[in-house]
Amino acid sequence: MTTDNSGDVRLSGISKTYGAFTAVHPLDLTVPQGSFFALLGASGCGKTTTLRMIAGLEEPSSGSVHLGDQEVTHLPPYKRPVNTVFQSYALFPHLDIFENVAFGLRRRGIKSVKKQVEDMLELVQLGEQARKKPHQLSGGQQQRVAVARALINHPKVLLLDEPLGALDLKLRRQMQLELKRIQTEVGITFVHVTHDQEEAMTMADTVAVMNAGRVEQLGAPSDLYENPQTTFVANFLGTSNLIEAEIDTRSGEDIVLKAGGGKLVLPRTRCSAPGTTGGKVLVGVRPEKITLTHADDAGEIAEGRNRITGKIADSSFIGVSTQYVIDSPVCPEFEVYAQNIDRDARLVPGADVVLHWNPAHTFGLDPAQDIDAGVDAGEEAA
Amino acid sequence: MAAVTEAPPLAPAPEKKPPRKRGRFTPYWLLLPGILWLLIFFAAPMIYQASTSVQTGSLEEGYKVTWHFATYWDALSSYWPQFLRSVFYAASATVLCLLLGYPLAYLIAFRAGRWRNLIMILVIAPFFTSFLIRTLAWKTILADNGPVVHTLNSLHILSLTDWLGWTAGDRVLATPLAVVCGLTYNFLPFMILPLYTSLERIDGRLHEAAGDLYAKPFTTFRKVTFPLSMPGVVSGTLLTFIPAAGDYVNAELLGSTDTRMVGNVIQAQFLRVLDYPTAAALSFILMAAILLMVTFYIRRSGTEDLV
Repeated sequence: MTTDNSGDVRLSGISKTYGAFTAVHPLDLTVPQGSFFALLGASGCGKTTTLRMIAGLEEPSSGSVHLGDQEVTHLPPYKRPVNTVFQSYALFPHLDIFENVAFGLRRRGIKSVKKQVEDMLELVQLGEQARKKPHQLSGGQQQRVAVARALINHPKVLLLDEPLGALDLKLRRQMQLELKRIQTEVGITFVHVTHDQEEAMTMADTVAVMNAGRVEQLGAPSDLYENPQTTFVANFLGTSNLIEAEIDTRSGEDIVLKAGGGKLVLPRTRCSAPGTTGGKVLVGVRPEKITLTHADDAGEIAEGRNRITGKIADSSFIGVSTQYVIDSPVCPEFEVYAQNIDRDARLVPGADVVLHWNPAHTFGLDPAQDIDAGVDAGEEAA
Repeated sequence: MAAVTEAPPLAPAPEKKPPRKRGRFTPYWLLLPGILWLLIFFAAPMIYQASTSVQTGSLEEGYKVTWHFATYWDALSSYWPQFLRSVFYAASATVLCLLLGYPLAYLIAFRAGRWRNLIMILVIAPFFTSFLIRTLAWKTILADNGPVVHTLNSLHILSLTDWLGWTAGDRVLATPLAVVCGLTYNFLPFMILPLYTSLERIDGRLHEAAGDLYAKPFTTFRKVTFPLSMPGVVSGTLLTFIPAAGDYVNAELLGSTDTRMVGNVIQAQFLRVLDYPTAAALSFILMAAILLMVTFYIRRSGTEDLV
């Protein structure tokens, strides 16, 4: 966006321990100037602690924090060019909206705040509410005051700690778009902490998935979703079907695997496991990539697709799609989401089916990991 | 149950009405004990006092209501120094309580951690012994050749307080300072408890938010913590000032004839001089004065919408 790097956030080896408990393991992270960065994870994964270390509200046990070229590791919060939107907004109850927004400007000794505050209230569409007290506003309005109060200071970085957590679903969707619009408009680096994977994927350019005090994987939302590197990411971000398979042969760009009685093809570039011939690998595929065909029509399936046979154990119709649970020899609960375009009336529980998908959608993971990592965390968060 | 199921569909409607009628008077029935209590122990004595204050006569011949309002004027003109002294002592004690109590309440609310309950108990513990005994103990503490007076003397603080007229000679006992010390000591918990309650209610994230918005720790205190603790400051100062202004025990035990407060005068008029009208009139003047001051104070502190 710009060559200016004063809004970069660089964390080098920062960690935080409380007694014997390690909240954040030594972590290196660079958030480039002007990006919308999300720290995603279940509660207790260390994402908020990381954010608070950037804000200066928590002192790292080791490592350093840089903003641009300035080291801020030991600066108190009031000396950092960073502002925070707190989880429950933390608006000052004794001050009206105008004074809440003007607070940061006044502390920095700026005398004529009227114009700036009014412009900022206009940006968040709260011009009419300037003289009200926070408790007179709705949750969504309070949220926008919290954003205005932070943004008016033109921070190098804006930190958002679960800013939409207290809002209902509809308002949350609306505020996600609103925040994204504001971020594009002001061009400030946003670091956003959330447990809502959908929120992280809709808003952020880059998402870091955190688990137990470590960053599991970092990348663009579509990268993380299409090519997860760990079972935690595969299960936490959406749903994945994971099958244990054995490496059969390697041919050019592909790895051929044996699973159950059949063979599956996995592109080498999408395999994060060390994978030697005869070794194991966890094969994954997202439920919506799979096509279901009734066993009677198996002959019509195109060549070169990965196939698995099974029996429909359960199906639930949810409007835009139908979700099937398939009992197959390789995996007892294989999930398949099918768009309701041309519904095959024979696809009911008990029917024999063939599951098939394009090998390019297959990913391979290191089998040493817990196959169910992140399953509960994902459900809890969603 | 059976009656309800057998009744025709419209029958339950009239059945619902009686409880609603009873319900209309329920709040008044619930209020009755409180109202009776107030009538017997507050309104009746007040009316009795008011009538006493406008009576004339003597103990032997009996008192009669003669609407003799001059008693008020006489009482005020003879005892105005005691009135002023009461206000001054009570105000000094209140300010001292605030200065001592605020840091302590702040410490308990934000810094005490697991010591919080212990410190709270220590604040309240003196109440387990009698008010009189505790005040008498101060006689020993401030005794002429005790360590406190000795230390104050060697630090030359007594010569300063002598010069200000708070102490006399090398004594602390029987001086204004002793009375104010006693008042401060006795009413300090009444300051600490409301301060603690309102400080403890402040959301810690507001401090973080202020820090995040460039407020240094002291600015955070001035702009966020203190304004939010105003309800505690107001109720604490009222709970200290009002009883301190009417107190007579501290002046009686720790003071001298030069430190008599209006409470001492009222007590003497009632129990020793037996001049009931003057005593009643003095009580009413004190009450009116406190009411006026408190009203003015609450208006000025502008905490109506915070409380």
